[in-house]
Amino acid sequence: MRASGALWIRLANAWIEIRENLGRSTLQSLGIILGVAAVLGGLSISDSQRKQSDRLYVRMGGLDKLNVQPSPVARASTPSALETANLGLRSQDATGGAELGRSQVAGFGEQKSIRARVRSPYADEERAISGIGRDYLRVEGYQLAQGREFSAEDLRNATPVAILGSEAIQVFFPNGDALGKTIRVGDVPVVVVGLLKERVFRFSKNQRRNIFRGRNKIVALPATLVQRRFEGDQYERLERVTFKIPEINSIEAFARDLTQLLVANHRQQSDFRLDDVAARVRKRRANSSVYDVIFMLSGVLSLLGGGLVNVNIQLASLKERVREVGIKMAIGSSGREIFKDFMAEAMLLTGLGALVGLAVGVAFSWFILAIIGVPLHISASSFAWAVALAGSTGFLFALYPALKASRLSPMEALRYD
Amino acid sequence: MEPLIQASGITKSYDADQSVVHALRGVGLSVQRGEFVALIGPSGSGKSTLMAILGCLDSPTSGRYALDGEPVEALPRAALARVRNEKIGFVFQYYNLLPRANVLRNVELPMLYAGVSRKERTRRAKELLDRVGIPEKAHQLPSQLSGGQRQRVAVARALVNRPALLLADEPTGSLDSHTGAEVLALFRELHGQGHTVIIVTHDPSIAALAERKIELCDGLVVSPRSAAA
Repeated sequence: MRASGALWIRLANAWIEIRENLGRSTLQSLGIILGVAAVLGGLSISDSQRKQSDRLYVRMGGLDKLNVQPSPVARASTPSALETANLGLRSQDATGGAELGRSQVAGFGEQKSIRARVRSPYADEERAISGIGRDYLRVEGYQLAQGREFSAEDLRNATPVAILGSEAIQVFFPNGDALGKTIRVGDVPVVVVGLLKERVFRFSKNQRRNIFRGRNKIVALPATLVQRRFEGDQYERLERVTFKIPEINSIEAFARDLTQLLVANHRQQSDFRLDDVAARVRKRRANSSVYDVIFMLSGVLSLLGGGLVNVNIQLASLKERVREVGIKMAIGSSGREIFKDFMAEAMLLTGLGALVGLAVGVAFSWFILAIIGVPLHISASSFAWAVALAGSTGFLFALYPALKASRLSPMEALRYD
Repeated sequence: MEPLIQASGITKSYDADQSVVHALRGVGLSVQRGEFVALIGPSGSGKSTLMAILGCLDSPTSGRYALDGEPVEALPRAALARVRNEKIGFVFQYYNLLPRANVLRNVELPMLYAGVSRKERTRRAKELLDRVGIPEKAHQLPSQLSGGQRQRVAVARALVNRPALLLADEPTGSLDSHTGAEVLALFRELHGQGHTVIIVTHDPSIAALAERKIELCDGLVVSPRSAAA
């Protein structure tokens, strides 16, 4: 159309048309409203869950970690001499790795666990004991409440000192006065030098179980102490080394280099395995995107259903409006103009329906999430998806009635009663 | 000077169920600029079909038709829409106003399709409403007007693009005789101002107001015989 402001006039006319036929228009947009609400509602619930699980990982010390653990090389047969000659994962692997990835590695933790009896004046329990080394506390996201961490000297000399988690403090020193006290781990008396803050994470507000409660049970000794005094292991073998690599994209490259180094150090044996936490999370996220697809599909189905209803209503209302089309054609409107009129109305209706649908969708997921107690989070792409799907179904289903109207013969349309 | 309408050998047939209906069977006519012509005939004579073809609402099955010197018998739909918009103003028996648009909007509509600027649209529409004698009704809806007033709106709308031809189909058919006479007076006034007017009617008393009558019967021009070419 050549006219100035033609689009506005068309939209204004469409608005009048919609307002004058409120019942019909509401029915027409209902499909879009429900479809958008379904898409946005579903996506935002899964957005929120994902956001919450991201928070979980951050609180666990972040995604930016690469774990190395020993693994048996010989699985089914008697191990060869070469295989048995290996010493497994050791502290020097960890320092070697950190040296190798100087530019990427922001820290690394060592771990060697055992089970042992722990005795204090108040309790006597069998416990998992974590022998820890290097930046273990930081890498795992622990924070000190009182006292100090293990010093380099403690680690070198296997000093008999301990750090307790909040639950362990409560069990072994119910009065909380643990710092500087001595406990016995197995036969070894150790002095408590550090107390850790309590760690709490609940996936949803009303989840009673603290996901991190296991972490509060920690009784930590220097890894060297565990290796020498408890294991009698002069080779200082570890069960886990965790490298912290802030730049997630460089983890893969570092993992390759590390593998080469370890294989070289271990006489060409792959007696270890790497675990890229970020990759694991990515994979899990890919699994959760299945839900996104399902939500989107259900939304698309309701949009399609709504679209079909829409076509039906539009065709029915077209009968009422044939005469009007005839009038417009008689005074010089081409089929194209009629087509645009119908499309403008349908798209305006779709737009309004989409807005209402977004509101309904947000309200819906807010409600559901409030029940399960997860904070609401909606990503921009979910909004975009909902609007794009609504727009395209609205557009597609408007085409047929609009085409039909635009192809009416003016004479027949004028005669129509 | 060439005639405004020059039509010859116009036929129009429809497929109806299993037979073919011949609504027009070779009509020829010519109308000069500034003429006031009445197209009369009983119902079923083909006058409505002829009006549709003369008004470019429909294309003839065969024959030739030149409007304002431009052959239009074989134009595609979009081009016919343009011709209707620029050269023809319609006035119908049932007013055919858009019910949900106010009077001003109704009158502006043809200019919208012609691409006239907004300011000019409003100016011309008001001028035309003035001319048909209902300037104060600009912002009312058609349903708030009397039949005579509605027909005046329709006339204003028909004239707004300064068409070469004013085509009225039973323009007084829905009006009482007094109002009908007023509307007819308006047409005569327009004719007096130089507009070419064709009124389609079955009422001989209305036809009597015209300068010339063309009578149709069974798809043929029966009077004057000379017009059948």
